[in-house]
Amino acid sequence: MSLVLEKLSVYLGDSRIFEPLSLTVAQGEIVTVMGASGSGKTSLLSAVAGDLPEPLYAVGLVILQGRDLTRIPPESRRIGRLFQDDLLFPHLTVGENLLFGMARGPKIERQAMLKMALQHLELEGFENREPHTLSGGQRSRVALMRALLAKPDAMLLDEPFSKLDKTLRSTIREYTYSHLQERNIPTLLVTHDPEDVPTGGRVIYV
Amino acid sequence: MALPLMLLFVFPLIASFFFAARSIFDLAGWAALFIHPQLWSGLQLSLITGLVSASLSVLAALLIVSGLYQTKWWPRIPSQVGAMLAVPHLAMAIGLAFLIMPSGFIARGVAMFTGWQTPPNWISTHDPYGLALVASLVIKETPFLMWILVSILNREDVQRNFAGQRAAAVSLGHDMKSIWLRIFLPQILPKLIWPLLVVFTYAATVVDMALVIGPTQPPPFATIVWADINDADILYNARGAAGAVFLSLAVAGVAVLVWGLVKAFAMKREWLMTGPTARDIIRPSGPFSTSWRRAELLRGVHNFTLLHTSGEGGPKGRMRSLLARFLFSKVLLLYLLVTATLILLSFAILWPFPQLWPQTLSMAAWLRVWSNPSALITSLLVAGATTATAIAIIIAWLESQPQRRDKLILLLSASALGLPAILLTLGQYRAFLLLNLTGTATGLFLAHLIPVTAYMFIVLAAPYRSFDPRWRASASGLLCSVPKFLWTIKFPLLKAPLLAASAIGFAVSFGQYVPAQLIAAGRYSTLPMEAVTLTSGTNRPLTAAFALLLMAPPLLAFIAAAHFGKSRWSTA
Amino acid sequence: MIITRRALLKLTAFAPFIAGSAKAADWSVLTAEAKGQEVFFNAWAGADNINAYIAWAGEQVKTRYGVTLNHVKITDTAEVVKRVRDEVKVGKKDGSVDLVWINGENFHAMKTEKLLFGPFAETLPNFALVDTKGKPTTQHDFTEATEGLESPWGMAQFTFFGDGAKISAPPKSMIELAAFAKANPGRVTYPAPPDFHGTTFLKQVLIEVTPDRSVFAKPIDAAAFAELAKPCLAFLDEIRPVLWREGKQYPKSQSEVTQMVADGELLIGLTFNPNEPANLVAAGTLPKSTIAWQHAGGTIGNTHFVAIPSNAKAKAGAQVVANFLLSAEAQARKNDLKIWGDPTVLDVTKLSAEDAKLFTAAPAPGSVSIPGPAILEPHASFVALIESTWLSHFGNG
Repeated sequence: MSLVLEKLSVYLGDSRIFEPLSLTVAQGEIVTVMGASGSGKTSLLSAVAGDLPEPLYAVGLVILQGRDLTRIPPESRRIGRLFQDDLLFPHLTVGENLLFGMARGPKIERQAMLKMALQHLELEGFENREPHTLSGGQRSRVALMRALLAKPDAMLLDEPFSKLDKTLRSTIREYTYSHLQERNIPTLLVTHDPEDVPTGGRVIYV
Repeated sequence: MALPLMLLFVFPLIASFFFAARSIFDLAGWAALFIHPQLWSGLQLSLITGLVSASLSVLAALLIVSGLYQTKWWPRIPSQVGAMLAVPHLAMAIGLAFLIMPSGFIARGVAMFTGWQTPPNWISTHDPYGLALVASLVIKETPFLMWILVSILNREDVQRNFAGQRAAAVSLGHDMKSIWLRIFLPQILPKLIWPLLVVFTYAATVVDMALVIGPTQPPPFATIVWADINDADILYNARGAAGAVFLSLAVAGVAVLVWGLVKAFAMKREWLMTGPTARDIIRPSGPFSTSWRRAELLRGVHNFTLLHTSGEGGPKGRMRSLLARFLFSKVLLLYLLVTATLILLSFAILWPFPQLWPQTLSMAAWLRVWSNPSALITSLLVAGATTATAIAIIIAWLESQPQRRDKLILLLSASALGLPAILLTLGQYRAFLLLNLTGTATGLFLAHLIPVTAYMFIVLAAPYRSFDPRWRASASGLLCSVPKFLWTIKFPLLKAPLLAASAIGFAVSFGQYVPAQLIAAGRYSTLPMEAVTLTSGTNRPLTAAFALLLMAPPLLAFIAAAHFGKSRWSTA
Repeated sequence: MIITRRALLKLTAFAPFIAGSAKAADWSVLTAEAKGQEVFFNAWAGADNINAYIAWAGEQVKTRYGVTLNHVKITDTAEVVKRVRDEVKVGKKDGSVDLVWINGENFHAMKTEKLLFGPFAETLPNFALVDTKGKPTTQHDFTEATEGLESPWGMAQFTFFGDGAKISAPPKSMIELAAFAKANPGRVTYPAPPDFHGTTFLKQVLIEVTPDRSVFAKPIDAAAFAELAKPCLAFLDEIRPVLWREGKQYPKSQSEVTQMVADGELLIGLTFNPNEPANLVAAGTLPKSTIAWQHAGGTIGNTHFVAIPSNAKAKAGAQVVANFLLSAEAQARKNDLKIWGDPTVLDVTKLSAEDAKLFTAAPAPGSVSIPGPAILEPHASFVALIESTWLSHFGNG
């Protein structure tokens, strides 16, 4: 079970944004995508996620856990994402943000999972806080946890550490990678920073 | 500088409030009010038509806006909506009435097939339930709310935030419908409170539209109050004043009640976070599908696209955008029909039922308009002067005052618009009488300035305040003086909201009827005043011509604002 | 145009001699004072032909007396009463109203509250031409003595009209009207009071169903009125189900009724100006087959006036205008169906043969063929009682 890209490329009209890419990301593997600005790293992630903005379009195949994603709308692809900004919803509390992506089900179960997540984040008692009252590091962790609680089959990381300050950066990076690997989630990481490349991880240049 | 300028708006407004409040103490008026046989029936009618039309308008506006958000139709909405906003309420009512009344266009069309020689006994206009009134209000208010929504959604910061939040929510398994409900709406609605209050109050207290198309026995309560206020009898005046206060209280009461209900619902926040909508619905399609695709790929059929969802978001999203376009096109169509009807009516002298085309056509109405353009000129001058003054007042305020003080002006503006016009007018008239401003050009100007400034402040404050402060910081880094910064950076960047607010201000001033009649004592004849006096007579061609004339300058203003307000830098 | 410019000049030359009043000297002082004044004439402006006539009068007084006449266009004279009252209350001396088109309860209100300047009307030179004997309403407005506080302008008599092609025998009484309405359900109605045509329709019913009409000349109280109104309400209840919209909704104004007659939605319209139907035929709003009639037993007739508020700024100018409006020439033009068609207040026999000729016109389509007698208006105190009684019976659908 893995994330497979076959001859995937993105077009704007007749012009190709990047050369066709074929790649298999194994479970728990973090593949780093690097390239100059404008080389189409973000377009690649959007093509996988399925929300390329018009008039861009993608050609090729994305196969996740054995299912062909071609005709599956982005919200049903079970692909989690982290962005440069934490993108916590400002009108929801920390707890509500965490519950937002959690599968539907009995309230008690969902609350139990939320409690566990907060414990794990070491943010017990922060459930009813507004996101903007949290520190930058806390917010990044909440964003990661929110994505994980949605039980994604794959993750896309779009320079998630680039806006964090140096000291925080490595802590959050380790925290993120350990969680992804622990859960065996195939991950594509886009970054500028060579330091972000996990030890022994594969690097693809586009 | 900013404070004395703002006083031009604030002082007459507060004086109006004061004198309006004084009418609370006229006990004879209250006693007469409570024995008025149409008090409760008329009030009920007013509140229900107001509530129903406001709810339907906001629903329609949200359906259309959410369905078209970031589709290829999105960029055209502002100009189309602006054009609709320019149609005066009165013109809409007159045109719509002629479409649906028993001797109107639709009935004539039916008569072609049924052979009717006399108009049917349809209860289509002046229906006792106010359905025709609700319809015309919804058609008028939906574009207004759409305008507000679009201007919120097109704000640079909102666009940026929503794009990110949307991507995040999609990755958490939510489809567009869920994102609108749980992410966008909860953040937009607080910004819609004042516009909604304005729409509700307007609908519940409208006089001119109600007279043209609304129920008559009982009529909406506001028309009773208006007649009383203008009566020759002092007791009726007092009753009217008490009625205006009572109606305002009732409207405020209902607004608070509804707001409370919405808030109580919002407080039960569980619906906000019931898990994702889409995630568990679609099952993995299994190895078969993949291998089939692979086979296809191997056969060289490799050029297929991955679904991209910007805007439409799958088949359900396409349904929503289809519904939105359907609704929007019907609203647009009605505006076109009404305008066409008015054009035809302005030439039609004799047009007996069931003829589809007027029996006698004549240019008389237009010649008459052409021969005496003074009312048009007065209206243009006043609208131009008040809009320019209002924008100066507002910018001076926003540039010199801390943001926390905006609340006060917003509150005043909202009360100027949210309070029933009849109540405010009553107070304004009494205040201006004492200040010896009735019958003067100054009085006319100040009376126009109040609603114009109020509307423009509400429209402009938020985008102006959300202007990215980093621009200022980087400009100071470049040693740029404040005026130079304003003219070369801030105003050009805020061009769209500035122009939009000006167009609204212009249209608001152009549509004002009451100041010319009550405050200027009719000495300065404005276009709406001529139009309203004409509707009290029999000359329908002339009434139609004036309605069209009322429509044209604001229409041009909106088109200009939409055209010149287009950002040259935006890439989205 | 009937009147040529040359004829106009001649008329002007004669005007002072015809008037020939002892106060000629005072009058010349007054005209001198009026010169250069600006007169704000507050007049109902719902009809464009009337507005055009007022504009014409403005041109005349400007060239002849140097008085500038501004037509302040209003929808309801009650607004003016209120405005003058409010201005006087706060002590505004240079009032915004110099001349107002008025009659009935509005005059009654202004007279009792002493908001009017005068007496001035009967010292106007041209007042001598007024037919005060044949048209007693020129001095009694809704039975209230005018006492020179308003100057008569035109005559009115309640009149019905409709398309002769659709109405073979017009109903000549309220009883006949009821029968007509039953035969044509949904095609007859009247404007809701306080539209004064609606109120007048109710007065007409009240008068026709009341055997002893002497009660109408005196003030009345609520209790007496309640008793008097019973047969009237019974009549209205009887016709209600066959009225337009089953008598649950009523048009808000006379002009709305007129429009519905023109559109064919209603069969019978009503007006206070007997010549309005003919005028509307001439304007093309109503078809040439239009007929107009008055009830055989008579219909309510009255006079409309111009008055000067006590706080008017240009009192001299206003009097000059009022006097001009009474001139044979101005009255003849107003009488002309193609211009306005408002009947004159003058006694044509008092005029010179040449002037009198101006008032003869061939019968036009839409004119009243057999005029009914004019009935005096009930006392002004009836108006409020009629309105409130109607409202409590019919105000809630």
